[in-house]
Amino acid sequence: MKKKSRPIGKTLTILMIAFFYLPILYMMVFSFNEGKSLTVFTGFSLRWYKHMLESRDMMEALYTTFSIALLATAISTVTGTIAAIGLSKSRRIVRDLMKQVNNLPLMNPDIVTAIGFMLLFITFKVDKGYMTMLLAHVAFCIPYVILSVMPKIRSLDPNLADAAMDLGAKPFQAITKVIVPQIMPGVFSGALIAFTMSVDDFIISYFVTGNGVKNLSIMVYTMSKRVNPSINAVSTLVVVIITVALLLINVMPLVLEKQKKKAEMGKRNLLLPIVGAVCVAAVVFLVFGMKKEPSDLPYAGQTLRIYMPGEYVGEEIFPEFEAKTGAVVVVENFDSNEQMYIKVANGESYDILIPSDYMIQRLIQENYLQKLDPEKLTCMEDLQDAVKNQPYDALNKYSVSYFWGTVGIVYDKTKVSEEDLEKEGYSIFLDEKYRGDIYLYDSERDSFMMALKALGYSMNTENQEELDGAYDWLVQCVTTMKPEIVTDEIIDNMAQGRKALGLCYSGDATYIMSENEDMGFYMPLEGTNRWYDAMVIPANAQNTDLAHEFINFISSYDYAYANSAYVGYTSPNWEVMDVLSGVDGDYEGINAYLPRTDYELDEVFVYNAETRKIISNLWSRVKIAASNAK
Amino acid sequence: MKKFAQLAIPYIVWAALMLILPMALIAMYSFMEQGNSIVSFSLTLDHYVKFFTDPDFLVILWRSMLIAVKTTVICLLLGYPVAYFIARSDEKVQNILVLCITIPTWINMLVRTYAWIGLLSEGGLVYQILTFFGLKDVELLYTEGAVLLGMVYNFVPFMILQINTSLCKMDHSLLEAGADLGANPVQTFRRITLPLSVPGVINGITLVFLPAISSFFIPKLLGGGQYFLIGNLIENQFITVGEWNFGSAISMIMAVIMMLLMMAVKRVEDKNQGGKEE
Repeated sequence: MKKKSRPIGKTLTILMIAFFYLPILYMMVFSFNEGKSLTVFTGFSLRWYKHMLESRDMMEALYTTFSIALLATAISTVTGTIAAIGLSKSRRIVRDLMKQVNNLPLMNPDIVTAIGFMLLFITFKVDKGYMTMLLAHVAFCIPYVILSVMPKIRSLDPNLADAAMDLGAKPFQAITKVIVPQIMPGVFSGALIAFTMSVDDFIISYFVTGNGVKNLSIMVYTMSKRVNPSINAVSTLVVVIITVALLLINVMPLVLEKQKKKAEMGKRNLLLPIVGAVCVAAVVFLVFGMKKEPSDLPYAGQTLRIYMPGEYVGEEIFPEFEAKTGAVVVVENFDSNEQMYIKVANGESYDILIPSDYMIQRLIQENYLQKLDPEKLTCMEDLQDAVKNQPYDALNKYSVSYFWGTVGIVYDKTKVSEEDLEKEGYSIFLDEKYRGDIYLYDSERDSFMMALKALGYSMNTENQEELDGAYDWLVQCVTTMKPEIVTDEIIDNMAQGRKALGLCYSGDATYIMSENEDMGFYMPLEGTNRWYDAMVIPANAQNTDLAHEFINFISSYDYAYANSAYVGYTSPNWEVMDVLSGVDGDYEGINAYLPRTDYELDEVFVYNAETRKIISNLWSRVKIAASNAK
Repeated sequence: MKKFAQLAIPYIVWAALMLILPMALIAMYSFMEQGNSIVSFSLTLDHYVKFFTDPDFLVILWRSMLIAVKTTVICLLLGYPVAYFIARSDEKVQNILVLCITIPTWINMLVRTYAWIGLLSEGGLVYQILTFFGLKDVELLYTEGAVLLGMVYNFVPFMILQINTSLCKMDHSLLEAGADLGANPVQTFRRITLPLSVPGVINGITLVFLPAISSFFIPKLLGGGQYFLIGNLIENQFITVGEWNFGSAISMIMAVIMMLLMMAVKRVEDKNQGGKEE
């Protein structure tokens, strides 16, 4: 055939390939960036790699991703091939039916498959974690293996196995020595697809995991709100691993080819040993990864399971606790109190939860918590009075404060005048002057708090008219002001001065102000939400002694200081708060660090099931309105 | 013979447990009034009624369909010429190009999507290039455009690879025969190449449309908190709202819509093959 130059096709192909690799290269380059920014390259450094290697979360995520992929590939390739051979000899009706069943995970949207697995595990009370993730991966990989092995079997002479057995082969030999070598290319490509699917999977893993088990995808998903260049470092590592794997795979067919020739020369088939070796390697990898050093510390070999908001603890806190007690800390993060509630209500077991005030009240009401043991709590006198005896737990029977603060407006002093803030209060979010230049916080409670306060109501109102008024206020804001509705993204974006103002937690504002001098924090005179996040022990906790130990540990001066200095939220330990906000303290002169405690219009959230539902529904309407206004 | 057929039995049991039962559970939840226990069993259609009578939910469904269609069309328009070019290259070049397109699909999707956040955010590379060309104050990140870009970026390789496979399988002598019989290149393309590549195009469309309509991390990462697609709605019901029965109903609706679309696609495919045999 004649060759023609095809300039359009050529250009398009080159552009396409550039398009594919641009983000990957960009990510690799910024993994070596000295600074934290994802947009400005300030110099070469390996600090994010160091950070990655030190981060147990990241290393575990890498380990989980690849160990699950290897195990799932090995298991699904073997079982899938056996099933395909069996099905090919089954009756037609069985075969056709199974073909349809096999198509289920291929034809269903991933999210539907994922929810099916989740409901399955929950219905049968299977403890969610590594095993459930592996089971789910095997389940969605097998159909791909069958799909790629089936056509190869079909193309074989159906009498092949019979011929082998007539010649004296046992059925097992007929399969391993006659059939399998013939369908090897199909088995191989099936294994390849299975591996790819497993490594790449996010949605299914996300819904079936538990107990803090994360793969790479879940880790990126939960970390993506804050700028975290270590993600780039991990990603670069993955690119390297995958490239090496690809090279191996391109060499493998050559090896197989040789082996085929050997087999023809009457030598032993190497297929089973290879598959066996992969399985053994995977198991060794698994066991090796799980091995823990023995120790004689008081809590050696025990586990503390904590369920808490993400990015809410100093980096060295858990490692130090582990070093001191010998216990292993398993941390799981949630995005919202509601998300936490669902898991706890579904019977998942943790030793410590760190929810907010109104949620603690709900958990107490619904008997999900146990009383703390005053004998074991040695930390109460270190904590300031301001965090004690709050309405959600009036006698401090169930909770010990972790962080506390208020909600206010973080603003760029160079763009927003204090006069406007004082004059307008929350209604500055309706001031056309700042159109397209504001952030709202994606939390139903805090958004409604702002709207209700702006209208002069109590944020704990149960009055439907007042709630509707707040809803209208918010809809007006999202339809006329073009706000961006964010959660933790606000922290890095305001620290870089991307927008003029936003609704923000005081602790995040503290961090923002310590990063950028132009930023200020204003607590409107209409009043605000004073909130408390506290540690509680669920009724079904498995290690209450260790939980008390941790509560005392984190409340003690040294660790409370490290924690508050790292995160930026206000410590309940009075001494820590004094030192950090005092002369030469990290947060000297930052008003956001010191919550307003004596203002009568400030309130603490009270839990009310009915109102919560109404607000939750109205807020999702507000977001849909925002989505439709764009 | 019988002996070999028995090999399928463990898988049939497994499939009943791991593939059929989960779907049955979703269906069950979607028709159940409330709660997660089988004990309080009372059937209802409320969740379906709730979805179809609320314009807000229908808008989300419509938007998801629309963006999935847009993604599929763009992937087809970009993917076809590239696949065609690759299929017409020398075998060596062809292998390298196919490898070039395959490698990115091996790297985690979340990771690749995350990389776009840096590129698109204010001050990022794409932003700077646009500013250089005189476009000021463009919002890139957290827009529908960003979501669309993320989807095309993640899914276009599937389209290219599928079309490329079917173009490579094509019998080249047909083209020569066409040319010998006096067809010009445009006619050859329209009458021979295009019809023969239809199976690849259909596979490609399926592989792009299916993940595009149900994706929820691309809208969340690149569309921001206020960009809702049907996948986000389902995630929301299960993870933050806790209305599992309603979430199951939306999942069922999705599954049924996809099944109908697949059946329609299969029709087109069968028709196409029927035409070939005539």
